[in-house]
Amino acid sequence: MDEVFKALADPTRRELLDRLFERDGQSLSALEERLPMSRFGVMKHLRVLEEAGLVTTQKRGREKLHFLNPVPIRLIHDRWVGKYAEPWASALSELKRDLEQDEASKEDAR
Amino acid sequence: MNEEQPYTVVGGRGAMTVFEIYIKTTPERLWEAITSEEMRKRYSFGVGTVSDWTEGSEYKAAVPGVVEIAGGRNLEVDPPRRLVQSFTALWSEQVRGEGESRVTWEIEPVGSSCRLRVTHDQLGEDANNELYGGWPMILSGLKTLLETGENLDTPGSLRYSGAAG
Repeated sequence: MDEVFKALADPTRRELLDRLFERDGQSLSALEERLPMSRFGVMKHLRVLEEAGLVTTQKRGREKLHFLNPVPIRLIHDRWVGKYAEPWASALSELKRDLEQDEASKEDAR
Repeated sequence: MNEEQPYTVVGGRGAMTVFEIYIKTTPERLWEAITSEEMRKRYSFGVGTVSDWTEGSEYKAAVPGVVEIAGGRNLEVDPPRRLVQSFTALWSEQVRGEGESRVTWEIEPVGSSCRLRVTHDQLGEDANNELYGGWPMILSGLKTLLETGENLDTPGSLRYSGAAG
């Protein structure tokens, strides 16, 4: 569990997870695009994510594809959020989403 | 974004998703937990899966008389290491429209634990995320059951338990 928190405590690594959430199963080349960082830097971050179990890989041909594995985050959720607060937490995050969407559509209307 | 990526993972989270979990147990106990109707109920929203687990046989996941969840065939059965199943979701009109996909369970011993990898692929483009969205909760409950002998009791994790008989 330490490894999961350590892996998440970095904006580049969170950005990599965001990209996999958007589009799962990407190669290193696809992931390093638009990141202001060397290929080696991206590899290092991916390795930290892999060691924490947040990213899994599968070979396809000569390429290694990266997949977001949300299971370790689910385990953290089930340990602290699940038992007591899930209805509250989901109601609050829905409220946040609704309000932010309202704001966004107001912005659009302007 | 590079539009010429030489692979076919597209749409939503992708036409293929992979979930991995480490569980402190033996491959045999893990295999049993996947293929036993009673154990399955305890970590799959209360839904049991019934099959004779031979290659080519059918399986059905349901709460009899209440709801049908999924069905398909066992394409490869290699206990206690590998199970490949065709998968058709049945729990709503919407997911039924998604057609057949494939679920592969792979068990790999690692030290005194097992790595379980569930690959859900052959999903359609922009597949409804309900199809694969339940896996993290199911796998978390499976880990809890095998490591502690208890049910995970987060809201939703036992949704259908007690719904029938």
